[in-house]
Amino acid sequence: MAKVLEGPGMALLTKWGMKVPNHVVVTSVEQLYHLASANAWLNGKRLVAKAHEAIGSRFKLGLVKVDLDLKGAEKAVKEILGHKLGTMTISQVIISEMIHHDVEYYLAVKSTREGADVLMANFGGIDVESRWNDITRIFVEIGKSPSVEELEELARTAGFKADMAGQVAQFARKLYECYDREDGQYLEINPLSVTEDGELIALDMVTMLDADARFRHPDWNFTFASEFGRPYTEDEQEIMEIDSRIKGSVKFIEIPGGSIALLPAGGGASVYYADAIVAQGGKIANYAEYSGDPPDWAVEALTERVCSLPDIKHVIVGGAIANFTNVKKTFAGIIAGFRNVRAKGKLKDVHIWVRRGGPYEKEGLAAMRALEQEGFKIHVYDRHTPLTDVVDYALQGEK
Amino acid sequence: MSIVADENTRVVIQGGPAGVNAARRMAEFSYLIKKPFNVRAFVFPPDAGKTVDVPFGSETLVVPIFATIQEATKAYPDINASLVYIAPNRALESAMEALKSDKINLVSMITEGVTEKDAKILAHEAKRMGKVYNGPSSIGIFSAGKCRLGVVGGSYENLILSKLYRPGSFGVITKSGGLLNEIIWICSQFADGVTTAVGIGGDAYPGTDYVSYLEMFENDPETKAAVIVGEMGGNLEERAAEWYGARKRRIKLLAVVSGFCQEVLPKGMKFGHAGAKEGTRGEGSARNKSESLKKAGAIVPQTFGALGPAIKQTYEELLAKGVIKPAKEISAEQLPKWPKSIDEAIKNGEVMVQPLFKSTICDDRGDEPVYGGYAASDLINKGYDIPHVIAMLWTKRLISDQEAELIKRIIMLSADHGPCVSGALATILAACADIPMAQAVASGITMIGPRFGGAVTDAGRWFKFALESNMSVEEFLAYMKTNVGPVPGIGHRVKSIHNPDKRVKELVGFAKSLGRPLPHLEFALEVEKITTAKKENLILNVDGTIAVILLDLGFPVESLNGFFILARTIGLIGH
Repeated sequence: MAKVLEGPGMALLTKWGMKVPNHVVVTSVEQLYHLASANAWLNGKRLVAKAHEAIGSRFKLGLVKVDLDLKGAEKAVKEILGHKLGTMTISQVIISEMIHHDVEYYLAVKSTREGADVLMANFGGIDVESRWNDITRIFVEIGKSPSVEELEELARTAGFKADMAGQVAQFARKLYECYDREDGQYLEINPLSVTEDGELIALDMVTMLDADARFRHPDWNFTFASEFGRPYTEDEQEIMEIDSRIKGSVKFIEIPGGSIALLPAGGGASVYYADAIVAQGGKIANYAEYSGDPPDWAVEALTERVCSLPDIKHVIVGGAIANFTNVKKTFAGIIAGFRNVRAKGKLKDVHIWVRRGGPYEKEGLAAMRALEQEGFKIHVYDRHTPLTDVVDYALQGEK
Repeated sequence: MSIVADENTRVVIQGGPAGVNAARRMAEFSYLIKKPFNVRAFVFPPDAGKTVDVPFGSETLVVPIFATIQEATKAYPDINASLVYIAPNRALESAMEALKSDKINLVSMITEGVTEKDAKILAHEAKRMGKVYNGPSSIGIFSAGKCRLGVVGGSYENLILSKLYRPGSFGVITKSGGLLNEIIWICSQFADGVTTAVGIGGDAYPGTDYVSYLEMFENDPETKAAVIVGEMGGNLEERAAEWYGARKRRIKLLAVVSGFCQEVLPKGMKFGHAGAKEGTRGEGSARNKSESLKKAGAIVPQTFGALGPAIKQTYEELLAKGVIKPAKEISAEQLPKWPKSIDEAIKNGEVMVQPLFKSTICDDRGDEPVYGGYAASDLINKGYDIPHVIAMLWTKRLISDQEAELIKRIIMLSADHGPCVSGALATILAACADIPMAQAVASGITMIGPRFGGAVTDAGRWFKFALESNMSVEEFLAYMKTNVGPVPGIGHRVKSIHNPDKRVKELVGFAKSLGRPLPHLEFALEVEKITTAKKENLILNVDGTIAVILLDLGFPVESLNGFFILARTIGLIGH
């Protein structure tokens, strides 16, 4: 799943004919001045300012300011821009019109294995979580789309009255169209409300799209946001950039505070390594994975990032018995990475644990073993040692 | 028996290089089990009409490439399965083409990064047609002793180590490709091996789920137990648990699920495969899946490491009950060996191959070409120039920078002489007739002869003869007059003693400034003194000058024309 931030999310709804509040995304106070001279609503209406980044609990962090006039919005932009959260700095603020509303509804389209569910409720906002079972839904088979009549029926079941049921059905029909045509995975509008003119308007939304579908959406001019409550770090972005242009894949996510670094092969095996560390009471410092016989330089770049994580005590170079990933070549990349970071004074007291099989496993494992001669604290095991036992060896030694 | 794929499975591979690589792996397996190769054809429109060579032991099989599935199945009516290696943006239409063929019942998609929508459409269509659509992102399907679909199973060595040459009693279903191979290995070490191992792919919506394959395993009498390797996200493991718990099943079910680490990680952090993406509680979490499977009666070890011993225990129990008969082992000696490639054998020093011809100037066997003992990159990094490379390849000698400078100037001065010489004219004419570059340039080169450029070699030959014979200038001119005719390298149509050739002046001046012995040049200049006294246009011309300077640098007569060809090619390409 790939998350889209509010700005581009609202743009998608607008594209498919759904009403959203007026909004602008700014990166400086000057920009807001210029936009205010072009957009009357910025001068006349009450405004909301929010940090436009993938950050969880923005409200608690003071990164959402409500009920502002333009002056207040300028002040808010000044306060929010440049605000530091860990290693990241907030660089975008979204200013939108504050819509006074009395009613809150809920509308969503969720991809399922066989098609999609359309979810609807005549309540919304924070009530949704507690009343989840009262939400009405219909299933739409893949390749079909729901008719307005079906959706109107659903709206009536959800408790909407005659006229509103028709309006909600029309809106839901547009949301479904947006979901279907834009390779949506999950589109949620909460709350859906009504303007003073009696028009339905999406006040807040979650937009999840299928990142793999980018090839058929040349107009997707946004990047996807992280989903774990903080933006990607520079190292993570660099590995993502490498990942996007190689055969095979390399993945990297930092988890601050951990002491066990992961450098395993395979999207499946890597999670078992993470599980094994957690089961032993260890704290993982990152998630990483390489697979699909990636080029050695990509594995080298990944190794350097993993081994440069602060305060790590162990590096787990795990992996199952590869089908076609060349163990000798990918290990050559890892070894080059080890040497590079050690030249910078890292990896000094770090133990390296290796377990692997696959094409050219003998040569790859021998090259790893030879690192002992260079002074690395390295422990090498072959296919006869079960997959995650190296984790147990690493952590049991600590106890 | 086995499921999905067996000895009657005949394959068309849709795709380019990745598909060819898979075909080669599949041929290794067919060879190991001494069965005919199971890949019949490729479908890959860009290469339609060509063929692919696939090594089969010491033989090479030739597999045709077609533009469409229909053409492939028409040529090979026994094709009944397709493997799809087509890029994500065309994967849907390719797989659909295969599904629509009435010959094909199984479509397994290896392509990664297929959109969820496309995968869902394919799953839906396959189900409607009563066919199997496996994947996307599948590593393949392996029926031990019968059929290999894809690179699953790894290297030839691993096929033997994991006893894939004969069926066992365990069915395996995983999302992960690496772990499928791992479980195959575990089943061969802790039990009697696998019947069929299926990689369903790690995407959010695999075309065929655990339940469908479990049902097939349940109906396959040779499969006594099934192992599934689950992952957090989605609800396919829960559905498998429901299936297993619904009634008494013949097969034993063993399962592990990954993703427990999610419980202690920051919210929203997701790892691993695309499908591994849902919450920490409720349906979709590792704990829920694990508990559901346990409740349904499956054996669910705590960790992946405990899976091996659990498989062993299950195997031994089934063996004790007589459900499983001990497998008849095949000794390694009975299995065919995959022959080494000649490159590998040469590398190991195991064979000696008499070369067709030997080159003493350039060796290409290492990582990069070596010119007369110097690696090309060394020559670059140490600051050597093109003339050094020319001298190295033409005379096997590393010349001095001074000599290199002279050669460089000779080439620069000879690079072109306008469009009116026969060579340039030929080239231009050819180019105007739309003859491609190589042939047009060659047309110009073929003009090199007595009237165009060829004088360099002739001049060199006679001046060299004069010095070798210790002739005086007078003796030489007399000899030439009697036996040869005009002295090559002497005389110009336009230039004369009063209107000297600037190129000659330039070259002679520079050569003399170097302070090295130039016997041929000096001799030629003496000749010029006498000839110009007779007729003022009988000067040492540029061909003669180049010839004697190159002789003084130690270049053999035979190489002299090479300098002209090389230099003038620059001009001809330009024309």
